[in-house]
Amino acid sequence: MADFDAIVVGSGMSGGMSAKELTERGLKVLVLERGPEIIPERDYTDQLAPWQSPNLDNVPQDEIKQHYPKQYGGVAYAIKESTKHFWVKDDEHPYEEAEGTSYDWLRGYHTAGRSIMWSRQTYRMGPQDFTANKEEGVGVDWPVRYEEIVPWYEKVEKFIGIAGSEEGLNQLPDSVFQPAFELTDAEKSFKQKIETTFNGRNVIPARIAHLTDATEEQRSLGRTNCQSRNRCHHGCTFKAYFSSLNATLPAAERTGNLTIIHNAIVRGLDYDFASNRVSGVQVIDAETNERRTYTSKMVFLNASAIASALILLQSKSEAFPTGLANRSDQVGRNLMDHVSGAGVAGIMTGFDDKTVFGRRPSGGIYIPRYANVTENDKPYKRGFGFQGGASPLGNAGGQIAGIGRDFKEAHKLPGPWRFSVLAFGEQLPNPDNRVTLHASRRDRWGNPVPIFNVAYGENEHIMQREALKDARAMMEAAGCINITSNDADLSKPGNRIHEMGSARMGRDPATSVLNGWCQAHDVPNLFITDGAFMTSSACQNPSLSYMAFSARAAHYAADLVAEGAL
Amino acid sequence: MKTRREFLQGLIVSVGGATALSACSGAATIAATAPGQRGRFYTGNEIALLSRICDLIIPRTETPGALDANVPGYLDGLMTDWASDETRSIHRKALQLIAARLDAASGNFLSASEETAVRVLTELDSNAFSGGGLAGYRSLKGYITRAYFATEEGAMEELKWVALPGRWDPSVDISAGD
Repeated sequence: MADFDAIVVGSGMSGGMSAKELTERGLKVLVLERGPEIIPERDYTDQLAPWQSPNLDNVPQDEIKQHYPKQYGGVAYAIKESTKHFWVKDDEHPYEEAEGTSYDWLRGYHTAGRSIMWSRQTYRMGPQDFTANKEEGVGVDWPVRYEEIVPWYEKVEKFIGIAGSEEGLNQLPDSVFQPAFELTDAEKSFKQKIETTFNGRNVIPARIAHLTDATEEQRSLGRTNCQSRNRCHHGCTFKAYFSSLNATLPAAERTGNLTIIHNAIVRGLDYDFASNRVSGVQVIDAETNERRTYTSKMVFLNASAIASALILLQSKSEAFPTGLANRSDQVGRNLMDHVSGAGVAGIMTGFDDKTVFGRRPSGGIYIPRYANVTENDKPYKRGFGFQGGASPLGNAGGQIAGIGRDFKEAHKLPGPWRFSVLAFGEQLPNPDNRVTLHASRRDRWGNPVPIFNVAYGENEHIMQREALKDARAMMEAAGCINITSNDADLSKPGNRIHEMGSARMGRDPATSVLNGWCQAHDVPNLFITDGAFMTSSACQNPSLSYMAFSARAAHYAADLVAEGAL
Repeated sequence: MKTRREFLQGLIVSVGGATALSACSGAATIAATAPGQRGRFYTGNEIALLSRICDLIIPRTETPGALDANVPGYLDGLMTDWASDETRSIHRKALQLIAARLDAASGNFLSASEETAVRVLTELDSNAFSGGGLAGYRSLKGYITRAYFATEEGAMEELKWVALPGRWDPSVDISAGD
């Protein structure tokens, strides 16, 4: 007799959704979270006034050097004295990089994982994203088509809440929206000029997972509309942005079917050869080092693309000598992220008599992919979307000339409007981009330390080079002056924090780990619905897709339980 | 047409944005310092120099100035609790260079008249922001400014920081009348 109907490993973006859907189907679910519990009343710091954090809210420099060199190097903007508890200490959670490579593994180990610190950009994949691999002979074919996932996108979108505008674009299908954050005047001008100058390019409000017209269901979970404070990286007392702690976990909790255990680091999955099933989840307590095994009818891995792959690689048996469900040898391979590099900024003149009220929490504008959609003359495959926006430059942190009253009062003026765009491009799957386990080095809990060997390929380099030209041309067309760019230095792999692909789904068990239901080809009661399942990366921010596939897999698995198949 | 109050609130947003929000301070934890008094990091002379520079860059107007907000004390805490040895060393050398430049131009910057002090600091500032090097001065000015706006005085009284805007208005007119 199993302890639970299902064990969900990880409580973040996808794990929360898996837990919600499974518990709402009546299954008894155990969520294992490797980090400590986040209690919003205690751990959210969004209510601190600027003067209530010491040292400009900066983490002491020696502390960064000792504990956060990778995390801070990757996302300095989000790691403050008042938010550092949401990020791992690198020295406690080490990893290695193959010679000549570099990888940013940016993480938070606690309830809700990175869904607390994400930047909330939320987009559907489009029909072209599910067919590109097949059409181009890249990687393997997705075993799913866009139409099959549409009902699950809709279900998830209604629940999480997305502010956005209906645009009717085929390559970036509309979600179920709440009202968008309106564009600033400079952004509207940019939109008009770009859409007039470049046929087929669109400038739309960023789609972000913030409530602007909370539904009954959202209010019933204690969620309210966004208050335009832009304190999101500190957590949100209003529960206005989506995180699993603000939404899916409370929904799961109220079914009475949820158990969450914190500080439970998974060491491996037990495999029963006779039944061909995962038979148990071995954990070690992060604080006491006590070891336990939990059992369930099925296991959902939602530990994050990298951690879920590591768990499989750690779970070796006679039947699976290279790691559980790894007969295809694809576990840990095809690790993808989105690639940035093409970033351009400029000043928009003509708006000096305008300012804004409120602090828009995320986003601004989004330029949906046009490369190889409406423009087919590109020297690269796939494409990219631009994120960006315009806001008054405002306080230059003292970096303007002058002293005295004039200098002091200049900080009250909005200043010139700065416009910036940054490309987020698709990375092609490459089996040589992989994470493996160190042969001997262990972390403090005895788990092997991962080694990353990931590099961008020619397509990514060419794409960003071209995206930079496009960005400059658009800034010029919009009338920007003082245009500056970052010369297309590519973001480090991992730095966009969209890891995916490390246990891809596909039609053939010989070349993929999961089937179209996120179910392991080799082990029927094992599901992986974090970013690991992604067969290709598309260029859209992926969290919505992880959640849609999680919901779909959860219902499929619940059906199997109901049929007695698990 | 926005009311003056709304206009001011809008301004706060623009200045506030990420910069002011990331610039959180711990004024409550900072011991008051007075010119000439030794700090945890600064010497008495350094405090005196810093205090005069703070007062000239962000003076008291209808709202509190950098001294009212104890910016020298804030920076003393910043250098003690936040800065690495390398940053401290760079900062201290910058102060020495700034003092030497100001003294050379004024005879003695600390005892110079208000008029002279304003003149020589304005010259130094102008050089620093027109390609004249002086990165250490620009850095100091950045610390002073960010610290001031991260104090309750600077954020609330000068910038009228709004904790809870409650709504997003992407287009607020700034008319000449406001």
